Amino acid sequence: MNYALFLGCKIPSRLPAYAASTRAVLQHLGVTLLDLEFNCCGYPARDLSRDAFVLAAARNLALAERAGLNLLTPCACCFGTLRHAITFLNEDAALRSRINEALAAEGLAWSGAAEVEHVLALLARVIGVDALSSAVREPRTGLRVAAQYGCHTLRPSKVARFDNALAPTIFEDLIRLTGATPVDWPRKLDCCGDPLHEANAALSEHMTRAKIADALSSGAEVMCTACPHCHLRLDGAQADTADPSIGTLLYTQLLGLALGLPAKSLGL
Amino acid sequence: MSRALFHAALYASLLLCALGLLWRMAGWYRLRIGPDAQAVTLAQRWHALLRGLASALFTRRLVQVLAALLFDVLLQRRLYRIEKSRWLAHWLMAAGFMLLLLMHALAAVVTVKLFPGYESTRNPYLFLRNLFGAMVLLGMAMFLFGLRRRRTRFAPARPPMAAAFVALLGFVLLTGFLLEANKIVSPQAFYRMAKEFNGSADPAALKPLRALWASEFGVAFDDLKEPIAPELLRQGRAMHEADCETCHARAASAFVSYPVSRLLAPLARALEDVKAHTWLLYLHVFACFLGLATLAFTRFFHAVAAPISLLASGATPHEAYSSAGRATQRALAMHACVACGICDAHCAVAPLARYLDNRYLLPSHKLVATGAREMSLRVAEGAFLCTDCGRCSNACPVGLDLQDLWQATRGDLAGAGLPAPAQWVKTRSALGWAEALQSDVAPQRMFDPDAREAPLSADRSSFSRCVQCQTCSNVCPVVAHSTDPAFAVDLTPQKVMNLLRLGMRDLTLGSSMVWSCASCYQCQEHCPEGLRVADIMLELRALAVQRLGAVRRHKELS
Repeated sequence: MNYALFLGCKIPSRLPAYAASTRAVLQHLGVTLLDLEFNCCGYPARDLSRDAFVLAAARNLALAERAGLNLLTPCACCFGTLRHAITFLNEDAALRSRINEALAAEGLAWSGAAEVEHVLALLARVIGVDALSSAVREPRTGLRVAAQYGCHTLRPSKVARFDNALAPTIFEDLIRLTGATPVDWPRKLDCCGDPLHEANAALSEHMTRAKIADALSSGAEVMCTACPHCHLRLDGAQADTADPSIGTLLYTQLLGLALGLPAKSLGL
Repeated sequence: MSRALFHAALYASLLLCALGLLWRMAGWYRLRIGPDAQAVTLAQRWHALLRGLASALFTRRLVQVLAALLFDVLLQRRLYRIEKSRWLAHWLMAAGFMLLLLMHALAAVVTVKLFPGYESTRNPYLFLRNLFGAMVLLGMAMFLFGLRRRRTRFAPARPPMAAAFVALLGFVLLTGFLLEANKIVSPQAFYRMAKEFNGSADPAALKPLRALWASEFGVAFDDLKEPIAPELLRQGRAMHEADCETCHARAASAFVSYPVSRLLAPLARALEDVKAHTWLLYLHVFACFLGLATLAFTRFFHAVAAPISLLASGATPHEAYSSAGRATQRALAMHACVACGICDAHCAVAPLARYLDNRYLLPSHKLVATGAREMSLRVAEGAFLCTDCGRCSNACPVGLDLQDLWQATRGDLAGAGLPAPAQWVKTRSALGWAEALQSDVAPQRMFDPDAREAPLSADRSSFSRCVQCQTCSNVCPVVAHSTDPAFAVDLTPQKVMNLLRLGMRDLTLGSSMVWSCASCYQCQEHCPEGLRVADIMLELRALAVQRLGAVRRHKELS
């Protein structure tokens, strides 16, 4: 099983533990990850120029296509952006020809051959919950975990095609197989606040704090994430406050621990 | 060349060089990049420098500094990791140049002291001089050949006087090799030396030596009869062994100049007639002096600034710098940048730069704009699209902390009234923007968005089907969290959709709802009509940047 690993911009610079734990877990499970020099997924240009955003995304897809690989990303926002670009390219022939014209300058082309997958979906659907369960060596029995889905893996469901957007179960299934207990929390599907941090910091903080308080009052000991933006925001909001705090753990770290991988290899 | 003239020119060049260096280095304390740098005093910056120097020299950090000197400065470890071919080109040039400088240019000061038997015409010196020169030439050729425009379409930003320096360096090497080739073929030089060491300059008396030097050392006598008798050569060799051999290696050891001299041989007489030796010498020496005098103002200054930057980074990790230290590091980065463009090639938003036709997305151009204190809408667009992925800093062969520089640049732009769009839209209310659009820019009530860039806004059916059920507003987390007047939004998604239905799009462009949309897609997921509410919000922002940006430009112009 081979994938081109699309880390995006945030993970290598701000959250290298996510790259390390993703590589460690997937290598352990027999998935080969290849590194191509991708560019930005296109998200920062989404509200500036549609063509520029789609071009950036399509260039990544074209690079994977040329290498004969599908893309695998641990970032919910990169996942959503790349899936959006595929949707727009599929529904707009004029856009498709403009983008392919621009890509042709580098000898690249987008045909739709390369698929985009999020790490959670790869684990749950491609490798499978049963296979993962039987690989668990050190179950995290008793740990109460709040699953932080991340908006762009789920919604819009027509674009993301990830799970039931109103009542998803994939993250809970993945938590359960590690021996931990997923908690039910009302703000599970809410935005973490990160996209607003630049534009409206006070509102962003308010949203993040509400999520943390909700996870705590629902009895969770740790918030489990699958997106660098969610993870950094949830951590960042707790950095300098006297409010009660809750731990954060990347799902790849939780799974890695359950698989019995050394904590150091998971960036812990 | 007269000694007095030589020395006068040398000392004048050294003085100019020293003054230039002082002026340029003082610039590191004049230039203030970043809002935090505006606040630090000159005294604080000097204090940070002295403290940094002290800790680099008198603590365990000295080991790190020495390691940086060896691996980063001399061996160019960073460049080796990033691009091996460029590393080879750079190393050939740098090593060849330094060795030529030490062995050849500073022979009287360095080589003679270290190797008392030094003679420029003896081996290994004759061979090495050619080797070092050839290294520089080969490196330059590799470098020029490798200057291809990469996927960014934009060539990397070039510092001023970059081409002038390359031309000067090439000129010094060219005149050097020509000078040596000319001397090889010159009968005049032969007679001058013969008079000094043999005591005779009479062509008849020197007939055997002339024969040998013509056949084995390349001197181009125009009065020599061919073919040369073997007996004459034997006599010549005896004279050569007696008077010349101690100082002269075979001319062919000059493996660049000797082949060049074969080309010059037919012109030997003409070259002597026009005193080629004299003016070639003047050109060669004065070109070197010119390079020295202008060192601080050409590309060559990177050879001073880049090592200082690398050593400073080696002494103190980037994150440990005080704001005073950072201020100086940022200013130093302007000169330490070698404009290699490797950052541009690795930049994550480079494809956007090409499509938006804005070179200021690219690190090398952003750096130049920062150094020139250029504050424009284009520079701001580039600065705020940067994703801070850190790839430019990782790839930088000079090890610049570019993330810190970009943060400072964004701070300065925001301070100059050029913040990110999400910030400048806050300068007016949604109604204020709509009124400004009516009065300043576009008196027409409606405008038709470009179906290419804003397909949802251009297609009425994407919002006209809205039944105003308020589901979008009910599931919107931004609306739900609008409990504090400090960050409450002015409209709800449903009201935005209604304004679109009513043809009042301009009223939505500056709306805090549009600009505070978290793009969580709850509205779009839940819309019973299947409308793409969040996609519309993002599209409205793009239209706002374009349309409200016109109001800003109008204000700037008037």
